[in-house]
Amino acid sequence: MKLQLKNFVAVMAMAIAFTSCSSDDDTTITGEGNLKLEFDNVYGSADFAIGTNYTNSNGEVLNVSRIKYIISNVVLIKADGSTYTVPKNESYFIVDELTSSSTLINLANVPAADYKAIKFGIGVDKEQWELGADGQGDFLAIAQNAQMMWSWSAGYKFLNFEGTFTSATVADATEYKVHTGQTGTDYNYAEVTLNFEEGDVAQVRTTVTPQIHIMTDLQHITDGTNKINLSEQATVMGGSKLALVTNNITNMFEVHHVHND
Amino acid sequence: MKTKIFLLLIFVSFWSCETNDEEDYQNIPINFQVPSNFPPLAYDMTNNPLTEKGFELGKKLFYDGRLASDGIVSCGFCHIQEDAFTHHGHTFSHGVNDNIGTRNTPPIQNLAFQTTFMWDGATSHLDLQPIIPFTSEIEMNGNFSDAVLMMKNDAAYKNLFKQAFPNGEINSEYMLKALTQFMVMVTSSNSRFDKYRRNENGGNLSNQELEGYALFNQKCAACHATDIFTDNSFRNNGLPINPQINDIGRFRVTELTEDLYKFKVPSLRNIEKTAPYMHDGRFFTLEAVLNHYNQGVVNSSTLDPILNTNGNLGIELTETDKVKIIAFLKTLTDTEYLTDKRFSEY
Repeated sequence: MKLQLKNFVAVMAMAIAFTSCSSDDDTTITGEGNLKLEFDNVYGSADFAIGTNYTNSNGEVLNVSRIKYIISNVVLIKADGSTYTVPKNESYFIVDELTSSSTLINLANVPAADYKAIKFGIGVDKEQWELGADGQGDFLAIAQNAQMMWSWSAGYKFLNFEGTFTSATVADATEYKVHTGQTGTDYNYAEVTLNFEEGDVAQVRTTVTPQIHIMTDLQHITDGTNKINLSEQATVMGGSKLALVTNNITNMFEVHHVHND
Repeated sequence: MKTKIFLLLIFVSFWSCETNDEEDYQNIPINFQVPSNFPPLAYDMTNNPLTEKGFELGKKLFYDGRLASDGIVSCGFCHIQEDAFTHHGHTFSHGVNDNIGTRNTPPIQNLAFQTTFMWDGATSHLDLQPIIPFTSEIEMNGNFSDAVLMMKNDAAYKNLFKQAFPNGEINSEYMLKALTQFMVMVTSSNSRFDKYRRNENGGNLSNQELEGYALFNQKCAACHATDIFTDNSFRNNGLPINPQINDIGRFRVTELTEDLYKFKVPSLRNIEKTAPYMHDGRFFTLEAVLNHYNQGVVNSSTLDPILNTNGNLGIELTETDKVKIIAFLKTLTDTEYLTDKRFSEY
């Protein structure tokens, strides 16, 4: 919480600095452009690849076969704090490590402006849930084909993290599954706000499509603020542990850099 | 520049479609009246107003076996109108590839007045409920993309989607909305009991039925509440656990130990037609059901407190009480709904 406040202050300070020196440019920025979000999975301090071993702080060695998550409700935040919200029915995406096209999300018709931060959800929000089918278009079909539908409860898997693991107590490679989603007690939807590094600006113009490079540290899923011990329970698909995983994954995203070419 | 031309093209194509759609979309609203003895609607129709064509499309979907992976098992396969949309005589139903489920097919009636669906309340939105049987590997084993593709190649569906929804798109959203429109319309509100409650012609109950109603209010209505006959809660009604299935009920959804072996309180409308009874269809007759409440209730940590009075389990019922209550329950049979041509497959 403290950290968020610090970031907020930093953004505000930058906002002030920014508006004061670029007020001339503002008047000339008009029209709409595109913006790309790149989701780059990493594991701790290493690049991530399917089928590679990664060791957690509790000695568990994970070998991931599937990692997918739903990114939703994208909001772009300008230097002055004003925002652009991507239309809700165009703002649900499935990021899948094995489908390279899915890791680069294109946002079209974005008002030309200088953006300093981004906010998005992980999963499908309560508001959408309560609308039922309304506004979902073909997202249900897309989710089903991507194994991101939680069929038995008519919902979505927000995060699908599967593979095998070994540990001090589990000698043979054993399957694990971590799925988050709405349960009877928790929505498990979370939102994150990521400020860009100082000096980084996504300058959306009719002729410029910036790319925001987001690193997703998958180690956080089970080895974050909360430790999810797979040796104790290798299938985590419900109950109170989902809230712990949800909390973990709100910390796994980071804007590494922004480029405007 | 390229994008601009592309956008322009999209615009033109949209525009031309729209003119067609306006000719095709048939906004003939259905004036859905909440029966005066019913609780308020739980389903919000703002985003899915009932229309004649939406209902017609929903009905077509409901009875279309092509939605299933084997081309046979439609919704109507297990939900048969004359049995109050249950699978009469089947303890469990069989889906595609002769797969057998573990829970008894519930009736489809008055769902727009309910807040949770499925025996364990796995979903709380009527639009989304069909996802469960449609995609379940042991029920219809359906795939949304395949269904959409099938419908896009079917002239009747192409027409109906255009007529039912303003933009006429064939997608999973409108498929579910149409199914909801059908399910909302499948309302049972004209049993003899309803007419009695509304002081209408044909609403005469015999003395035995009236005594049964009084007993029911005294002994059953705490859970089977309102004229829909459910309080939408989940309860453990003391059924001995079948070890072969060990159905944990609501626990599956919440993983809270206090929800172990709890199931949704079912409506009792048309109960004469919906045998067998309970979530697993273990009782074949209403007598067997009442015998359970009278003598068969088993204690456990989650047994509903209503069924445990200082260690006395179950509900006190004499033989005549049972006869009277069953006589009353049979007044909930709604022939109009059971035979309504609007809901029929043929």
